[in-house]
Amino acid sequence: MEELLRILSDLRPDVDFTNNNKLIDDGVLDSFDIISLVGELSEQYDIEVGVENLLPENFNSAQAILALVQRLQDED
Amino acid sequence: MSFTSFEFFVFLLIFFAVYFLIPKKYQWIVTLLASYIFYVYASLPAALFLIFTTVSTFYTGVLMGKANEQYAKTLANGGDKLTREQKKLYKAENKDKKHQILTAALVANFGILAFLKYFNFFASSTNSLLDFLSIDTALPSLSLLLPLGISFYTFQSAGYVIDVYRGKVAPDKNIAKFALFVSYFPQIVQGPIGRYDELAGQLYAPHKFDYTRVKFGLQLALWGFFKKLVIADRAAIIVNTVFDNYLDYKGLTIFFTVLLYCFQIYCDFSGGIDVARGIAQVMGIELRKNFERPFFATSVADFWRRWHISLSEWTRDYIFYPLSLSHAFARLGRSSRKILGTYLGKLLPTFLAMLITFLVVGIWHGANWKYVAYGLYNGILIFMGILFEPFLSRVFTQDNAKINSFSWRFMKILGTLFLICIGRYFSRADDLMTALRMLKRTFSIFNPWVLSEGVFSQLGLNEKNLELLLVSILVLLVVDILQEKGYSLREKIAEQNIVFRWALYFTAIFAVLIFGVYGIDYVATDFIYMGF
Repeated sequence: MEELLRILSDLRPDVDFTNNNKLIDDGVLDSFDIISLVGELSEQYDIEVGVENLLPENFNSAQAILALVQRLQDED
Repeated sequence: MSFTSFEFFVFLLIFFAVYFLIPKKYQWIVTLLASYIFYVYASLPAALFLIFTTVSTFYTGVLMGKANEQYAKTLANGGDKLTREQKKLYKAENKDKKHQILTAALVANFGILAFLKYFNFFASSTNSLLDFLSIDTALPSLSLLLPLGISFYTFQSAGYVIDVYRGKVAPDKNIAKFALFVSYFPQIVQGPIGRYDELAGQLYAPHKFDYTRVKFGLQLALWGFFKKLVIADRAAIIVNTVFDNYLDYKGLTIFFTVLLYCFQIYCDFSGGIDVARGIAQVMGIELRKNFERPFFATSVADFWRRWHISLSEWTRDYIFYPLSLSHAFARLGRSSRKILGTYLGKLLPTFLAMLITFLVVGIWHGANWKYVAYGLYNGILIFMGILFEPFLSRVFTQDNAKINSFSWRFMKILGTLFLICIGRYFSRADDLMTALRMLKRTFSIFNPWVLSEGVFSQLGLNEKNLELLLVSILVLLVVDILQEKGYSLREKIAEQNIVFRWALYFTAIFAVLIFGVYGIDYVATDFIYMGF
């Protein structure tokens, strides 16, 4: 989780990722943030995030993102 | 049938009566019939295209569903005997099969759209090129039918088949119900472009008559009519005068006209959307919002999150994300990182994907080079915004605390409005060259006294009409500001006493009837002022 939080705060230092769980619903992260984040996650965790994973529930909070990463790591 | 026509009014009355009087389980059938009546009224041959898209996308969904069932059966039959490699193989086979089916459907439907909408543009551009190269052939220009709402229903159905492919929605099993999803009349003319998972369930479900909901729906539609008939069609008179004869007018006159055009197109489009959403709300169906007070946007990127939202979200989900996440773009990203370094290298593929996306948004509006320019203009500005916003914030606000200050926000809104206005030269002018000439004229012939010269009362609207236009724009701004602050106006009105409410309704209805611009020759206000 610390690793993920580091990645997130590098991307958007102005956002409180520990407490915010409406990152997509409130428009805190926009489409460019998502693409940049996905790029970092793919590299860091050696996973492939497909378009079908780009759902609000997968990115609304740091916990959700971590869950997505773990799920994709298990799948392969 | 135009939303502002008498026939449509009659159509709606009859439709609502039948809709609420019949047993609720037949409501979707009545809506389907009404949608086809509405469509065929516009054009019978065009309906054939609508039916083609409906049938082809429906069966695409069915075929993909069958492929999935086949795959599941294969896995079940194999059971524990299948190795991991074998399972992966079957999975890949299934994916390939579905991919082929999907590609066929998309090529067929977008092919039709591309041909009908863009062939003549392609032909004339090619002919100019052939001419330039002194080659003595020419492509013919064809007289092609453009079915009503083809850009909207094609995108909506394409979204459905892609969602089925991605496993986001299950294929629809009832072609009649699916036909309603494709042809639903409130949204077929100008959107919003709906998503299957949000819309289909609502369309097929029964809806009871709820007084509050029906009332709110009618109020929304009334507000839409106000925006379209009182503001948009009135502003259009000035805008048309200036754009048709721009050489007669000086710099700032043109600029203020374009600013007025921004209001016109906003009121016209969002007015039409409000009518659509209002009608749907009466029926108990919630359509996606298409506008969120776009003139309060603090950047061009923010503008596109508030303007024609259903289109920009469609292109984001079905063009921008798939492109940015594709293998090809990932490879591009890796090479560009080596050449340009980490920061710029990461941005290049995103920038390219965004440019392509906005090219599509631009050209979606129409078959003309000016729309290509419009799309590229917006795409480049958004990207520059991303690159320069942190730098600009630091320069103008000196410390982090001031970033959310009203004055900085206000400056960003004005700056964005100015950039959007420039973009509108491209979308409104007859063609790209005219747009460029008008821009040049705006900035080279300076007439700062334009507002006091009374030029604006000589552009087709007399002074009284001009005042009325400005007052109604003011009303619009007040309503939008209140909404931006989070007030739900319809609920606030419902809380007031009965005298106030009905006075407001009557004022609004009479305003639309009397101040509405119904065609060039009949400006209802003239009728009033002539009597005095």
